[in-house]
Amino acid sequence: MLDPLQIVRVVEENMKAHGLPFPAPREALYSWAKPLKMPDRGSPMLYTGGLYQITPYIMSVVDSLSKFEDLKLISVALKASRLLSTLGLSGLVVRPRADTVSYVENILRSIVELLRKAGVNVAYGYEDDLYSGVLLYDLGLDELFKEHAVKVYKALKSREAKTIITVDPHTTHIMRSVYPKYVEGYDLEVKSYLEVLAEAGLKTEQQNGGDVVIHDPCLYARFEGVIGQPRFLLQKSGFKVLEPRRSGRMTYCCGGPIEGLAPKMAKTIAKTRLSELSEKHGVIVTLCPICYANLKSVSDDKVKVEDIALLLGGREL
Amino acid sequence: MKVKLEADMVLDEISKALDNIEFQEALRRASTNNQVKVAQLLTEKPELIELAKEVGSLKRRSVESLRELVEKAVESLRKIAAKPYYAETVEEARKLIGDIVGSGKRVVMAKSMAATEIGLRQYLESLNNEVWETDLGEFLIQLEGSKPMHAIAPAVHMTRERASTLVAEKLKVGIPKGGVEDIVSTVRMFLRDKIVTADVGVSGANALAADTGAIVLVENESNIRLVTSAPPTHIAIVPIDKIVPTLIEAFKVAIVQATYAGLYPPTYINIIAGPSSTADIEQIRVYGAQGPRELHVILLDNGRMKASKDPVLKEQLYCIRCGRCQFECPVWIHTANTWGGPTYGGPMGIVWTAITLDPIEAGKLAYLCLGCGRCDEACPVNINISMELRHLKMLVVQASKRG
Repeated sequence: MLDPLQIVRVVEENMKAHGLPFPAPREALYSWAKPLKMPDRGSPMLYTGGLYQITPYIMSVVDSLSKFEDLKLISVALKASRLLSTLGLSGLVVRPRADTVSYVENILRSIVELLRKAGVNVAYGYEDDLYSGVLLYDLGLDELFKEHAVKVYKALKSREAKTIITVDPHTTHIMRSVYPKYVEGYDLEVKSYLEVLAEAGLKTEQQNGGDVVIHDPCLYARFEGVIGQPRFLLQKSGFKVLEPRRSGRMTYCCGGPIEGLAPKMAKTIAKTRLSELSEKHGVIVTLCPICYANLKSVSDDKVKVEDIALLLGGREL
Repeated sequence: MKVKLEADMVLDEISKALDNIEFQEALRRASTNNQVKVAQLLTEKPELIELAKEVGSLKRRSVESLRELVEKAVESLRKIAAKPYYAETVEEARKLIGDIVGSGKRVVMAKSMAATEIGLRQYLESLNNEVWETDLGEFLIQLEGSKPMHAIAPAVHMTRERASTLVAEKLKVGIPKGGVEDIVSTVRMFLRDKIVTADVGVSGANALAADTGAIVLVENESNIRLVTSAPPTHIAIVPIDKIVPTLIEAFKVAIVQATYAGLYPPTYINIIAGPSSTADIEQIRVYGAQGPRELHVILLDNGRMKASKDPVLKEQLYCIRCGRCQFECPVWIHTANTWGGPTYGGPMGIVWTAITLDPIEAGKLAYLCLGCGRCDEACPVNINISMELRHLKMLVVQASKRG
């Protein structure tokens, strides 16, 4: 278990140094988009906020932290903070696994293709697809978050965005429900791509996708009212959607948000959820990169965890 | 005996709890049973959901006029021959109660989180009194020397096997391992004598009605009935957030609390409006008929009045301590109240710890919150608990910047 202020400082330092909460190259956020040749300004604009792209880096950091915890090197928070300040957590080498990088990039490409098929041609801000600052808000770094949010808003406005289309629940929530409280004059319309696809009516080729059990992410289900759309889209694509014991507004967290602070606890929660989901079926569909990473990390060969964008796009690996 | 909180030590306790298989199993059983029970109850009786909304709104009104309600309650308590006291701090509350009890007495306690909050049992023991908890869960906690692990079910972390071993060992009696009924009857026999011969009974309150001074207490065990009526002196510790305008409203609070704890209908609801008395002889009022001759009511502030002025933390004062948020929290069901301060734990408990003890140390614990919002969804009075917890994190960051 880590000293929270240690993580707070690491995130703060990294944000100030290169605009991302963990050491990752800036291009990691937008290099996936180049082959798709989206216009670099206009509206609606795809805004990823970077969460999918930094997930492989987060997984790598969590892996390193879990090792400390497993070795009982950090049984108490104090000890942990001493150990880590000598090592310098911000100095940790973060090398993501190539397969997870290509997995998340596939998801993003699939989202753009799905939108195009539904007749929604999005612009994309490339270098201005900045990290949303979700973690700053979650950690209580309000001052830095506000400063960053203003920067993100300005960047999106400079690219002529009026409506932004988001790709994950955390970014959807922060852009739609939190930014307006922190950014003066905020006037962006925010929609999740699942909402956009459901409204546009998804064109589908797939007839029999098989059974899937759905894992609602907390922020979509409880904070943003995105519950019916993923079900509608999956059904339209030929999947039969099974509900776990706890779903919709009473969905159960994957444990992800505390993975950096208490990896052992996060894994325990993920296992609880995974067993509840896999009781229903062996294919679990996730709508959020954090849920994907956490459930995946505790799953075995009998269970398949898959992102909804890949299932809808018929390009699951 | 200072009650304090150090986040680092708490984190250590949590680590141990995660590795304790029996602890994990007990919590898994209890939380699943509770979730199913409450869901069933609310499906069968949707009118109770409406009642909860009503309680949510009456608690909001009450907190807005907290100071006036306190004044009115004091006045009403005097009218019914109870003795009201206002304790601003833990130390004041202990001193007031210590002076009433004295030393060399036998004291029986009905489960009260407020008593735990002021460390009352240990304090009265330090004055050479013999003190017994009478709620079964709380009694097990006393035997174990630990702290309450849930607002309603303090021994939620104990399996029946652990409980029987503990009782057999501490009371030096033979009990079959895991026999729940044997545990209950053994403890009943042991405590019965203590209750009947006690000098003082101490209780908390689910609500206090400002218009009448009536205290409402809800329970299933009947230990509260005995503790508040058998001894000649009754002391009730009432945190000021429990004051509502009227007796009818106080009754509603008790009903909703029991419902969301999964105990509906509650077996007993006690209304206590003054010491026991009779006027059967010549219409002359004499106190101490079959019940207590004296009723002392300690109105406990300990940070609550200040919190009532805080735009974020005041929400916690709407809390009716049903413990619903705890049973629904993905973190709490693995930690119980090890994730918390010395008295309160889990989602609502972190905020209560911030209000009554230390916002910064409590805020450090808030970092284990997932922000998943299940507690918000589960809360019968609609407190935005996850927002409060995030607010506490912000206070931690701000404090660290100040050095």
